[in-house]
Amino acid sequence: MAISAKEQELLSYVNLLVNTVKKLFRDRGEVEFSKDPILTKRNIVEYNGRMRADGMEKFNNPTFVAAINFYVDAAAMAKHSALGALVVYVEQDYVATMLKRLKYPPIDDEDNKAMCDACGALCNIIAGAFKSALVAGGYKELEMSHFSSYRNTAPNGVEFCFKEYDKYEICFHIDNAKRLVLELTMAPVPKGR
Amino acid sequence: MKKILVIDDADLERELLIEVLRGSGIKNEFLQARDGDEAIEMLGLNHKDICLILLDWQMPKMSGMEFMEGVVKVPAVNQIPIVMVSASGTDDNKKKARDVNPQLGGYVVKPYKPEELVNVIQEYLK
Repeated sequence: MAISAKEQELLSYVNLLVNTVKKLFRDRGEVEFSKDPILTKRNIVEYNGRMRADGMEKFNNPTFVAAINFYVDAAAMAKHSALGALVVYVEQDYVATMLKRLKYPPIDDEDNKAMCDACGALCNIIAGAFKSALVAGGYKELEMSHFSSYRNTAPNGVEFCFKEYDKYEICFHIDNAKRLVLELTMAPVPKGR
Repeated sequence: MKKILVIDDADLERELLIEVLRGSGIKNEFLQARDGDEAIEMLGLNHKDICLILLDWQMPKMSGMEFMEGVVKVPAVNQIPIVMVSASGTDDNKKKARDVNPQLGGYVVKPYKPEELVNVIQEYLK
């Protein structure tokens, strides 16, 4: 089935994100994913004008969730008028291992705050590298928020562009187990500077 | 020996940075702040003892850029070298940072290699 130009555009951001994550994990921790990431387009579930982000749905187990928003410029960021959102999900039991593999200091895996912070740090480096990849791909430089992170679910949801109805879920496997799930929603990013 | 002020909202990134620098033989004491607000308070109390500021960009309450805009206007602290350590590392970001602070000591992109960070800050610790 043919896909629309808008869907194609979203898929191109997803592919950029996938390549960014692969490179980041390879460069940072010599981690190779055990199979190609699984991409699934899903409808955005909205409540109170925000996108639902539920980690339990991703792993059926306690999960840490972190989110970062992208904005077309600083004025849009000040108005909380998001262009896109990146959400990172890591199963609780794997957070410490994943961060260790990425050469971060050890985390106390019984400390919720430390685990949230770790997931946020991961989301931050992925979002930063993705933003750079967009620029390298000829897109406008976006503004990026600081991370927010949670255990299991983002209670108030995540900001997103209200004109968007779809997001992509991207599942990454390490040692043949699903270890990292990303969600990306993004309105068309302007080209150029 | 003077102190290094590390400003980052992620505890883990601050720990990593300090671990990397200590592992490279840097013996300075570290002060830590989670955002620009906390950093300003710390700077007010300790500015005479601080030789270097390592600054993240995306932080809650007050971003690294807002913090730096404030610092460059205050003669008592604007001579303290600032090195940005941020996940946002495009040329535009670097230019924005230098526009705000022409004396910017460096710009290190996360995730960084330890030697890259050490090379940038070494000259400010002499």
